Amino acid sequence: MLTIPTRAEVVRQVRERGERVAAVLPIHYPRALLRAHGFQPMEVWGPPSVSVVEGNAHFQAYTCGIVRNATSFLLQGGLDAADVIVIPHTCDALQGMASVLKDFIEPRQPVATIYLPRAARSADRGFLQAELHRLAQQLAEISGRSPSGGELMAAIEREEEADRELGALAEHRSEIDLGDRDYFTLLRAREFLPAESFIELARSAPRGRGPDRGVPLMISGIVPEPMDLFDHINEMGAHVVADDLACCSRRLYRPGSASDPFERMADALLGGPLDPTRGSPILERARAVASRMAQCGAKGLLVYDVKFCEPELFDVPLLRKHLTEAGLSMLHVEFDMTGSIAQQTLTRIEAFVEMLQ
Amino acid sequence: MGEAKWIGIDAGSTTCKAVAVDAAGDLIASRIEPAHPVIEDQAARLVDELRAEAGAGGEVPVVATGYGRKLVRGATRNITEITCHARGVFRALKQPGMLVDIGGQDTKVIVIGPGGRAVDFMMNDKCAAGTGRFLEHSAARLSVAIEDLGPRALGAVGEESISSTCTVFAESEIISLVARGAKVDAILLGLHRSLISRVVAMIHSVGLRSPLMLSGGVARNLAARAMLEQATGQKLHLPEHPQLMGAYGAALVGLESGADR
Ligand code: SF4
Repeated sequence: MLTIPTRAEVVRQVRERGERVAAVLPIHYPRALLRAHGFQPMEVWGPPSVSVVEGNAHFQAYTCGIVRNATSFLLQGGLDAADVIVIPHTCDALQGMASVLKDFIEPRQPVATIYLPRAARSADRGFLQAELHRLAQQLAEISGRSPSGGELMAAIEREEEADRELGALAEHRSEIDLGDRDYFTLLRAREFLPAESFIELARSAPRGRGPDRGVPLMISGIVPEPMDLFDHINEMGAHVVADDLACCSRRLYRPGSASDPFERMADALLGGPLDPTRGSPILERARAVASRMAQCGAKGLLVYDVKFCEPELFDVPLLRKHLTEAGLSMLHVEFDMTGSIAQQTLTRIEAFVEMLQ
Repeated sequence: MGEAKWIGIDAGSTTCKAVAVDAAGDLIASRIEPAHPVIEDQAARLVDELRAEAGAGGEVPVVATGYGRKLVRGATRNITEITCHARGVFRALKQPGMLVDIGGQDTKVIVIGPGGRAVDFMMNDKCAAGTGRFLEHSAARLSVAIEDLGPRALGAVGEESISSTCTVFAESEIISLVARGAKVDAILLGLHRSLISRVVAMIHSVGLRSPLMLSGGVARNLAARAMLEQATGQKLHLPEHPQLMGAYGAALVGLESGADR
């Protein structure tokens, strides 16, 4: 069993080091830039078990649970430890949240946004570099700290090392001797642990023969909440051998080579794995998913989507079509960002597992 | 009639069904009744009745399915409705293809492969739209008996359009139509069209396959059948006992498991 500190413990350690905390909304953002400016990113993917009354008051009924829950959490004081809130322009819902925060809620903390291009042409690279410079300036104003090029590069290299460790965990799932829930808890520790702590944790993960029980599945989607999902999957006679989750494998950024830190960060963000929120062509995504499934022996793909997640939902019909043509089974279910999973959703997953048995 | 070897219980949301099969997998006894709030007791009673009727006095093992499957005491296994319906209909109609099961509170579209295995499926079980409950609720609003729904819709002169597939919104549409003097039968026809349009959308999401088979309580509704055939251009194949296919499939899964009593 691995011992993973809680978010509250990490916040305390960050404070003791005299650093600040940045609450960061999903999905892609420059971790190294935040760290170099003295902010420890603490990602907010929901969380699932909050009352959403406050969030409901600010958003339409068809807004996803991440935005609703995160806003409620903020209004309930859940983000009080944060010194800045960073909202990447992942989708319309998060862009809307940034506007609502800035124009209506006006939280105590400054709200920093980052616009992410949807393609990776040279114009997009230039645009993203300019965005990163703009964000750097904003962070420097908040923290009063302007890192040198060398400091920034050191932070980048540390994050690249952590990404390599994350990649090794994802690549060698079958050799990690942890049950599904523990394994994904470990991967998701990247959401709030400093890179150096994550590297240490990842290296200490028990190696050996990973779990090999029942029907092998690959999971796709934004975030697997609540994490009981994995217990249910195991009880149904299946296990998860690989993921295409936004919070995990879709953030296996390749280490860069540029000597300019801003260029290197932009390259990493634009060259990451295929992802509907980055406008990746669906056919390429479907091929990548199919080849990952073949590689890890997954018999089916479980697409576990946050209800009303537009970028994900746009891809679902074509993903299904391409995978079916490739002879692969896929199940799409949606979940509400709450503390429990609807019985109907579990029945569908169970039927899918029975189908693949 | 042989002696019962396995019993299947389908603890559904609106009805509870029980089926006993003999060693050849033939359906030899069955029960169907409205679902009781205490599923455990109802299932136990139905099992006892079937055991007494066809079990030659001994213990007969049980496989449970349906939304209340995990509450059936003493079941040796519980299996989802998808797997059981596929198995039951495959055995009853002796062919793979696409099954549409329109039940009281859910609708399933299942692609049945060789051997009766489900190879793909889609399920609407989150709301009453596109399920039997949609018709049942609307029928109650119009004071029409369930069994009269189909014949009256088929005999309608003209059709009132119901744009909503949502049960709650459809009810408001019915109220306004009645208020402006629309004919009940024409409203019923519109309601059936609305239900079928939702089901057809599900069929196309999975990808229409032949032969098209229909089960569930709505299979008894002549108008729904005719409209589904018209909308898909397919002839519908119906098992002899459309409402029992889940329970029948559950009993067959037990029988196929080889763990005889
Ligand atoms: S769940 Fe989807 S819609 Fe919601 S914030 Fe994430 S990407 Fe945007």
